[in-house]
Amino acid sequence: MNLLANLGFFDQNDEEHLAATIHGPSVYSDNPQERIQARRLRIAARQEARRREALGEYLDGKKESEEEQSKSYKQKEESRLKLTKLLLCGTELVTNIQVATDIREIHRRVEEEEVKRQRLEKLENEVKTSQDKFDEITAKWEEGRQKRIPQELWEMLNTQQLHCAGLIEDKNKLISELQQELKIKDDQFVKDLKKQSDDISLLLERMEEQVKSVMKNFRQELMQIEKAFESERQELLSNNMKKWERALQGHNAKELEYLINRMKKVEDYEKQLNKQRVWDCEEYNTIKIKLERDIQILEQQLQQMKATYQLNQEKLEYNFQVLKKRDEESTVIKSQQKRKLNRLHDILNNLRTKYAKQIKQFQEENQTLTSDFKRLVGQFKELQKAMRHFAIIDAEKFREIWLMNEEEAKVLVQRAFDVDKVISSQHLGLPWKMPDFWFLKNVGPISMQQQKSATQILEELLLQTEEDETEETSEDESYMDLPKQVSAKTTKKILMLLCDESGFLIESKLLSLLLPLEKNECYLLRLDAIFSALGIESEDDLYKLVNFFLRYRSHRLSSIQYSTSTQTERTSLISTMERMSLLSQTDRKSLVSKSEVDSMVLPEDLPEDDNESLVSKELREESLASPKLIHPNDVLKILEAFVMGLKKPKDTRPVLRVKRDTRDNSKDTEYWTSLALVIPLAKQNLWDALYKALEKYYLVLTQRAKLLMENDSLEEQNAEMQSLLQQYLQAKVNSELQIPPTQSFRMPTK
Amino acid sequence: MHDPPATSSHPGSRTSMYNVQRQHSGLGGVSSATQAAKTSPSHAPGHLKSKIPSNRRMRRIISEDAEWTLAIVPLLTELCIQHIVKNFQNNPILKQLLPQHQQKVLSHLPPDLPLTVTANLIDDENYWHRCCIKRWPVCHVAKHGGSWKRMFFERHLENLLKLFIPGTTDPNVILDLLPLCRNYVRRIQVDQFLPPVRLPTPPQGDEQSDSGSDGEGNEPEKDHYQLEALVAGLKHLEELDLVYGVKDCGMNFEWNLFLFTFRDCHSLAATIKACHTLKIFRLTRSKVDDDKARILIRSLLDHPALEELDLSHNLIGDRGARAAAKLLSHSRLRVLNLANNQLRAPGAQSLAHALAHNTNLVSLNLRLNCIEDEGGQAIAHALETNKCLTTLHLGGNELSEPTATVLSQVLPINTILTSLNLSCNHIGVDGGKQLLEGMSENKTILEFDLRLSDVSQESEYLIGQALHANREAARQRALNPGHFMTPITNNGPENSVA
Repeated sequence: MNLLANLGFFDQNDEEHLAATIHGPSVYSDNPQERIQARRLRIAARQEARRREALGEYLDGKKESEEEQSKSYKQKEESRLKLTKLLLCGTELVTNIQVATDIREIHRRVEEEEVKRQRLEKLENEVKTSQDKFDEITAKWEEGRQKRIPQELWEMLNTQQLHCAGLIEDKNKLISELQQELKIKDDQFVKDLKKQSDDISLLLERMEEQVKSVMKNFRQELMQIEKAFESERQELLSNNMKKWERALQGHNAKELEYLINRMKKVEDYEKQLNKQRVWDCEEYNTIKIKLERDIQILEQQLQQMKATYQLNQEKLEYNFQVLKKRDEESTVIKSQQKRKLNRLHDILNNLRTKYAKQIKQFQEENQTLTSDFKRLVGQFKELQKAMRHFAIIDAEKFREIWLMNEEEAKVLVQRAFDVDKVISSQHLGLPWKMPDFWFLKNVGPISMQQQKSATQILEELLLQTEEDETEETSEDESYMDLPKQVSAKTTKKILMLLCDESGFLIESKLLSLLLPLEKNECYLLRLDAIFSALGIESEDDLYKLVNFFLRYRSHRLSSIQYSTSTQTERTSLISTMERMSLLSQTDRKSLVSKSEVDSMVLPEDLPEDDNESLVSKELREESLASPKLIHPNDVLKILEAFVMGLKKPKDTRPVLRVKRDTRDNSKDTEYWTSLALVIPLAKQNLWDALYKALEKYYLVLTQRAKLLMENDSLEEQNAEMQSLLQQYLQAKVNSELQIPPTQSFRMPTK
Repeated sequence: MHDPPATSSHPGSRTSMYNVQRQHSGLGGVSSATQAAKTSPSHAPGHLKSKIPSNRRMRRIISEDAEWTLAIVPLLTELCIQHIVKNFQNNPILKQLLPQHQQKVLSHLPPDLPLTVTANLIDDENYWHRCCIKRWPVCHVAKHGGSWKRMFFERHLENLLKLFIPGTTDPNVILDLLPLCRNYVRRIQVDQFLPPVRLPTPPQGDEQSDSGSDGEGNEPEKDHYQLEALVAGLKHLEELDLVYGVKDCGMNFEWNLFLFTFRDCHSLAATIKACHTLKIFRLTRSKVDDDKARILIRSLLDHPALEELDLSHNLIGDRGARAAAKLLSHSRLRVLNLANNQLRAPGAQSLAHALAHNTNLVSLNLRLNCIEDEGGQAIAHALETNKCLTTLHLGGNELSEPTATVLSQVLPINTILTSLNLSCNHIGVDGGKQLLEGMSENKTILEFDLRLSDVSQESEYLIGQALHANREAARQRALNPGHFMTPITNNGPENSVA
C-alpha cells in the first residue's frame, strides 16, 4: 500500500511537475478537466512559439498565413497533442501498477534472500550447537558405561535426560520459530494475495477509468474539433453572408441610383425632344416657304427652257436630216472599202502560200545541196586518202625501182671497175686504183637532209660539251651547221643561263619530277620544256636564239662603249630582230644558203667590232668565251624580244611544210649520168685501142694454133706407121725368113 | 433470424399479386386474369417489388378480393430450403444450390450441428459467428485473424486440450477432431494441462506448500497430454502457447499439479522440432529450469520458421540463457522473452555476446531478472554494434549507475533502438543525468521507461521532453517519408500537415 501510495504520489507529483513547467493562473481552477485543458492549450501555445522561433523570421509571411489558415487545423493539432499526452499518461498510470508490483517483487526477493540467508545461518548455528550438545551427550554415554555405582549412574542418567530434554527443547523452539515464520509467511501470502487482488482491481479500475477518460476525452476532442469546424464554418458562412449582403446592398443602391439617373435622363430627353419638335416645325415652315418660292422660279425657268427646247428641236431635226444623208454616203463608201479589203486579203493569202511553197522548195534544194556537198567532201577525203596512199606506194615503188636500178647500175659499175682493174693490171701492167665517187656510196633516192629538232641538237650539244670537257681537241671544230663564231661551249652556256633564268616557263610538276635526275638530263628536259613554251622547234630556231643572244650582247657592249641611250639599244635590238626574221624566212628556203647568210650577217658585225679598240676586242673575245657578261636580268628582256620576233615566221610555216612534201628530182639526172659516166672517156678510148691490138694478137694466136694442130696430126701418122712396122716385123713370116728384116735395120728405139 | 419477416411477407406478396392481376384484368380482359392466377409463384417477388409503392390501389383491391385467406401455401423453394435445413445433419446439401439459396440455408442452419458435417463443408463466416456466439459469451475474433471459423476450431480444440485428463479421457476425442480442424487451426493456446488422476486424491490445504520441494520430477506417471500427434496433424499451425499448470485448483492446491516433467519436456521438444510451420512458441509459468530449457532450445536450433520465443515466468538460469544465446545465432528469432527468470550476470553476458552480432532479433525482454551491472554493461556494449534490436526491456534487474554510464555512451551511437525500459532499477540521480546526456544526442528512441529508478524528476522530465521530440520527428518521418529536413529542436508537428 505504501508503494501504491508512493506511486500515487509519484503520479501526482508528475502532474504537478508538468503543471509547474507551465506557469499559468488557470491551474488554480476548480475543475480539473478545465485545468488540464488550460495546461494543454498553454503547451500548444508554447510549442507554437518555440516553433516560430526556430523557423525564424524569414518565414514571417508564411507564418501569418498559417495562423490565419484555420482554427480547425489548430484545434486538430491541439487535440492530437492532448490525446497523445492523455494516452501516454494513461498507459503510464496503468503500467505504474505493473512497475510497482515489479519493484515490490524485487524488494521481496531481496528481503527474502536476506531472510533466507539469516535463516540458513541460524540453522547452521543451531546444527552446530546441537551437534556439540549431542556430542557431549554421546560422550557422556561412554562415561556412563564406566560408571558402576547405580546412584551415580542414575544421576548421570538424569543429567543426560536433562541435556536431551534441553536439546529437544532447543529443536522444538527452532521448529516453533520456523513455524511462526511460516505462519507469518502465510499471513503475508494471504496479504499478498489480497494486495494482488487489490492491485488487480485497481488495475481494472484504472483501465476502466482510462478507457472511460480516453473515450470521454476523445469525444470531447472530437466535439471540440467539430465545434471548431462548425464555428469556422459558421464564421465563414457569416462572413460570406455579410459579404453577400454587403454586395447585395451595394447592388441595390446602385440599381436605385441607376433608376434615378434614368428617370432624370428620360425627363431631359423629353424636354429636348419637345424643344426640338418646336424648332423643327418652325424650320419646316420657313423651308416650305422658301421652297415654294423656288418652285415658282423654277417653273418660270421651265417655260424658258421649253421655248429654247423647241427651237433646238427644229435645229436638230435639220441636222439629223443632213447627217442621215451623210450616213448613207458613208455606208456606200464603207461597202466599197470592204470589198477592196477582201480582195487585198485574197491577194495576201495567195502570196503567203506562194511564199511558203518557195521556202519549202528552197529548203529542199538546200538539203540536197548539203547532202551533195557532204558526199563530195567524203569523196574528196577518200580521194585524198587514196592519193596519200598512192603517193606512199609511189614513193615506195619509186624507191624500190630506184634501189633495183641502182643495184643494177652498181653491179654494172662494179663489173666495169673489175674489168678496168683486170685490164689495167693484167694487160697494161699499170697499178689500178679504185676511183672514189660520192654517188657510189649513195643508196636510195636522193633526198633533202632532215632538219633536226631543237631537242636533238640540244642533246648532241650537251653530250658533245661533256666530251669537250674531257678532250679539248675538238673545241675549234664548229659543230654541225653551227655558225663558226658560236662555239658549242658558248651555246651551252647560253642555254644554261636560259635554263636557270626562265624556270617560270616550266611546269611545277615537271620540276618535281626532275629532281631525282642527273644534271645533264635535268637540263635537257628543262630546256625542252622551255623551248616548247617559247615555240622553238627546229634547229634553226635554236641557232637563231643563240645568235640573238650573242648579238644582243655585242650590241649592248657597243652601246655601253658608245654610251648610247637604252632607247636606241632597244630600237636597234628590234631592228636586228626584224632582220633576223627576214633571214629566217630566207633560211627556210634552203639550208645551204642559211649558213651563208649567217656568215654574211655575222661578218657585218665583225667589222663593227674591228672598229673597236683593242680592249673592246679583248672584251668581246672574253665575252664570247664566257657568256656570263650577259646579265641574268637581261635574259628575260632578250627572250621577250625574241619571242616577239619569232611570231611572224610562225605564220608562214604551214605552207612551207606542204611544199616540203614534194620531192625535188633535180639531182636525179645528175646522179644517174654520173653513174653512167663512171668510166671516163679517155679510158674508153684506151680500151678501144687495146681492143684492136688484142684482136690482132688473137689472130696471130689462132694461126699458131692451126699449125700446132697440123704438127700433131703428123706425129700421129708417124706413130701409126711405126706400129705397123712393128707388126710386120714381129710376124712369123719373118722368123721363117732367113734373114729377118729386123736384123737389117735397127729398131728405132724410142 | 429471418423467418418472421419471411413468413409475414407471404400474405403481402399474395395480395400484391392479386392486385397485379386485378389491374391486368382491368386492362386486358377477364380471361387473362385466370391465366395469370395459374402462373408460377416464382414470378411474384418481381411483381411485388415493382408494384408495392402503389398503396392506394392495393387498398382498394384488397377490399374487393373475396378469395383472400391466410392459409396460403409457401413457395416451393422456401419449402425445399426448410427441408434441407431440417435434414442437413443427415443429408447436407449446400454446394449444389444457387448462391442466394445457399445463403438462405446457411442463415437458417442451427449452430449445434455436428462438426463432422459442417467442418469441411461450411465456409460461411456468419454461420461460424453464430456458433461462436452461442458457445462463448466473449469472443475476440481479432485474436484469431478475423476468422470466426478459425476461432471456433481453435477455441474448441483449446477446450478439449484443457479438459483432457491423461489416462482417463480417450485420446481419440482429440484425434478424431484432427481431420476436421487441420485446415483451420493456426494457433494452440492452452493455459492448463490436467495431470493424470490419482485415485486417492489427498485433500491437501495450503499448508502443504513445503512438499513442493520434494514433490518435483520424481513421478513419471504425472506426464501431461502429449501434443506430438496433434501438432503433427495440423499443417497450418503457427503459434503454440502453452502453460503447464492447473487453473482454479482452489484449496486442492498441490505442487504436483504444476509439474513440467522431463518426459513432457522431451515430447514437447520433439513436437516443436517436427513442426516446421511454427512461428511463435510460448511456454510460460511452467517451472522450466535450465535443463529443460536447454532441451527445448536444442530442439529449436536452426528451426526454419520460428520467430518468437517466450519462456517468461520460469526458472531459467545462466545455463539456459547461454543456450538461448546460442539459439540467437542459430535461428531467425525476432522476439525473445525471458522475463521473470533467474538470469544473472553471466547469462546476460552470453546473451549480450550473441546480441552484438545478431541481425534478426528485434525485441529482447529480460524483465525481473537479476543481471546486475555486469550484465547490464555487457548488453549496453552489445548495443553499440547491434543493428536491429528495437525493443529492450531491462526492468527490475538491479542495474545502477555504471550501466547508465555505458548506456549514455551507447545511446548517441545506436540509431536502431526505439524502446528502452529501465524501470525498477537503482539508476540513481547521477545515472539519470548521464542518461539524460546520452538521450539528448539520440534521435530515435521513442519510449524510455525510467519509473521507480531513483532518477531525479528533473532529468526524467527532460528525457521525457527529448522523447517527445523524437516521437514528433518519427511521426513526421512516417507522414512524409524520405523527407528528413525538420530539425528535432523545433518539434513543431504543424509543419507536416501544412
